[in-house]
Amino acid sequence: MGTTPLNPPFRAGAAGAGLLLLAGAAGAGAQGYHLRLDTRIQSVSFRGWALDSIPAGDTVSTPGEGPTSADGYAVRCFTGAAYCTFFRPGPERRSQPLTTTADLTLWGLGVAGLSVHALGRLGADVGGADYWPGTEPAVQLLEGYAQYATRRATVRLGRQVVASRLGTTGFDGAGVELRDRRRGLDVQGYLGWGLARGSALPATSPAVNPLDDFQPVARQIVAGAGAGWRSSGAEARVEYQREVDPKTDKFVSERLALQGAVRPHERVSLTAGADYDVAFGWWGSAEAALAYTDRRVRAQVGLRRYRPHFDLWTIWGAFSPVAYRAADAAVSVVAHRRLTVRGRYERYEFDDAEASTPLFQGAESDGWRWELGGTLTPASGWTVDGVYRAEYGPGAASAGFAGHVAYAPSRRLSIALTGSSVKRPLEYRFNEAVAHTIGVDAEFEASTAVRLGVSASRYDESHDRPDAAAYDWDQFRLAARVVLQLGRGADLQGLPPSIRMLPGGRAER
Amino acid sequence: MTGRLLIAVALAAALPAGLQGQEPAERVRFDHLKHRSLFPTCVECHQGAEDDPDLPIWPDAESCATCHDGTTRPRVEWAPPTEARPSNVKFAHELVSMMPRKTPQGERALTCGDCHLPADRTWMAVQRATPEGCLECHGTGAAHLAESDDLCSTCHLALPRARRLRAVDIAAFPAPPSHEREGFARGTGHGALATGTSDPVASSCATCHARDFCLTCHVDAPEQPAIQALAPDARSLAIAATLRAPPSHAEAGFLREHGATVRTDARQCVTCHTRESCFACHAPSQQVAVALHARAEGRGAGAHPTRRPPDSHGENFSRGHAAVAASTPATCAGCHVRPDCLQCHRPDAAAAPGYHPAGFVTVHPSAAYARETSCSECHNVGSFCQTCHLSAGLVSTRTLGSGYHDASPFFIVGHGQAARQSLESCTACHVERDCLTCHSALGGRRASPHGPGFDADQLWRKNPEMCVACHGRGDPRR
Repeated sequence: MGTTPLNPPFRAGAAGAGLLLLAGAAGAGAQGYHLRLDTRIQSVSFRGWALDSIPAGDTVSTPGEGPTSADGYAVRCFTGAAYCTFFRPGPERRSQPLTTTADLTLWGLGVAGLSVHALGRLGADVGGADYWPGTEPAVQLLEGYAQYATRRATVRLGRQVVASRLGTTGFDGAGVELRDRRRGLDVQGYLGWGLARGSALPATSPAVNPLDDFQPVARQIVAGAGAGWRSSGAEARVEYQREVDPKTDKFVSERLALQGAVRPHERVSLTAGADYDVAFGWWGSAEAALAYTDRRVRAQVGLRRYRPHFDLWTIWGAFSPVAYRAADAAVSVVAHRRLTVRGRYERYEFDDAEASTPLFQGAESDGWRWELGGTLTPASGWTVDGVYRAEYGPGAASAGFAGHVAYAPSRRLSIALTGSSVKRPLEYRFNEAVAHTIGVDAEFEASTAVRLGVSASRYDESHDRPDAAAYDWDQFRLAARVVLQLGRGADLQGLPPSIRMLPGGRAER
Repeated sequence: MTGRLLIAVALAAALPAGLQGQEPAERVRFDHLKHRSLFPTCVECHQGAEDDPDLPIWPDAESCATCHDGTTRPRVEWAPPTEARPSNVKFAHELVSMMPRKTPQGERALTCGDCHLPADRTWMAVQRATPEGCLECHGTGAAHLAESDDLCSTCHLALPRARRLRAVDIAAFPAPPSHEREGFARGTGHGALATGTSDPVASSCATCHARDFCLTCHVDAPEQPAIQALAPDARSLAIAATLRAPPSHAEAGFLREHGATVRTDARQCVTCHTRESCFACHAPSQQVAVALHARAEGRGAGAHPTRRPPDSHGENFSRGHAAVAASTPATCAGCHVRPDCLQCHRPDAAAAPGYHPAGFVTVHPSAAYARETSCSECHNVGSFCQTCHLSAGLVSTRTLGSGYHDASPFFIVGHGQAARQSLESCTACHVERDCLTCHSALGGRRASPHGPGFDADQLWRKNPEMCVACHGRGDPRR
């Protein structure tokens, strides 16, 4: 995949045409279909660093300061090394990723309850540079499965994604869900060849290993089971998942999760959950949150624990990643019928890493994050939103304002002016970045089947450092989007047009 | 001269406008009171009102010319009406003689003046008959619009039979006081009134309404005998009805609880909701809304719900939705289909800012170091983080110690705390071989990376291949 002789735009276009033909052929033979084609392109650029070196003898020493190059870059020199290294501002990377996401559902295939679902993405960098992540390989199948559903059971066969407390697990295989709605019970199980975390690609794909690190030679076998109970006042769920390396017959991961919620009052809920890493023998992330919700007030207080999860076919878990514990509170109040204010605060502290050394002390081990914002609707169709966010903790901090003024004279058209100003200093490197953005977004529903969107933003960014490596990086970012929604089916005739065309992507509404 | 010309032009322009402004259909009415000395009886002109139904009710225009001949009196333009006035009153003047009236002087036949003269009986002060006049004999003492249901059909035709009524006449029907009562819109209100008689539908309903009017709201019209008892008539839509949500729909928790309500007893939902109205929010599946009627000919369109998020889905909900989604996946699936989730969980390379705000790439280090949530749920560390960092020159491609982390000259010897706190961030730029330079038991500085919580036996049992990377094939526990 991704190594055809065609240029990237042609690749994407050819693949898109192929998908359309496929959809057309499939739709023609089936009683009903939905097809949503979402094509987007954006033009972006970014700039990083470039490692460079100079002979140790060419460095310049200034009393009270470290060595620098003759043109003012701070350099790192090891005793006895012939060369000193430094980072100079890297080249500007320009990229124009173009993607088409197709979401296809077919039904009416002769068996009641049988349907076919496919969610695929075609990607290419129009500029041919492939600097921007996510366009390789050019064709990615996020989901593609046949489903047979009855009132009590659903069976899926093919590529699918299971979402649970343990994450969104992708695999090629089979999944079964059984339901007893009267008792509020359900159980599910799945088995298949797994995909890499956060990706539609297998762990063996070169695209998930750009740095040529250790990589598995075979896809992991993933198996999972879950059971849940729900009533009007409470829910509880338990999940188990294991991944096994078929080459060694050893675990890649093994985890267990518990999750529950109770609602002692119609406006009050308590949600809690935790996951246990059976493979490592330690608790992973956990949280408990008490929430109050009514028409005017939404408030929540909670406790959290976060610990990253690593697969056993990397060595990272043996490096003892530590968890942090956090307490948070958030509130949103409708202060006036046209004004809603909101705020959020969280404070966290890492567990003792047991790694302090006399030479390097004082690294941050706790932090906080908060935000305060509001949304004003001064007139019908108008929205003014602004928020100030600040975050401070190990590694980096940030603070800044973001806001937008939006005007939506109808459901078919919306225009928004956006702006932000943020500052972000790092802890482990001299680098204080400041970025100011201003932009405009517009969305237009040309018809029930066609939706258009464009956005343009100006980014002004500066990276301050006490040496010559400080630089400014300004750019325009442009993005455009076309969404086509097609559908046919006897059971769709009674639906309003807006619903008929959007069964797979109603989040757009 | 010029001024006069202007006035003349203005008058010429105003004249047609003034003529256009007149009601062309306004009929010249006969002033009865002015002629009271000329006519001793009504039937002198309105012969058909009493004597003989075959005779005309109106006099002919020529009879006016008896006096208004242009010599004795000026001519007049009066003409008798060519068609009956739009009405749903089923009254015939020939029946008057059969309508006895009780008076203090005893029972006598009804006269024209009983209905068309004022209470003081001023001769020729003719007025239209009022319902109150009818109700003097036919009523129970209540006001016209508050009279008992069975009385309506005494005087009125059902709407579909009152063919002379135009939409504008129907729209002007006065609403009875019952329609203003609290709860009238509910089934216990107008529904009970409609079905509370021995007839299939109350005549009070049938007088003003037809089936089309009920279909404005009622999805369950075919299942309602009272509605089916009404004849269809599109003119009934002249009375506008607005379907309003009952108070229960505004209660807190309604969105959460309404599913259970439908499952328990859908009868209260089927009145206003089609199956399709559920699909405005819910994912179309076989289980949803099966108890409701599908939209069909002969059923009302019913309510058109507007999709809105529940109260819990406020600002920042996406940031913390994982726990809720994990505990109640079926609840989420009620409204969301899987591609909804994957729009963020498998992000699009060409998508402009969505889940993350604009400019997030600039500030993402602060979010990544102390993760508020797991970045790798949506972003694969290799294909996303490392690919981008590689393009930006931020990955370690040579030996360590090149000086990127230059805020402290001793970072490399004291990086352990940072690494254990933010290991996911480290792996966005560093690969295993970078760390094995020092942390391998087989060479380098042989610095052990194992810290709190490390259980060698546990990991050896689960996957000894992990140990091989640093310790070789031998059992490192020995």
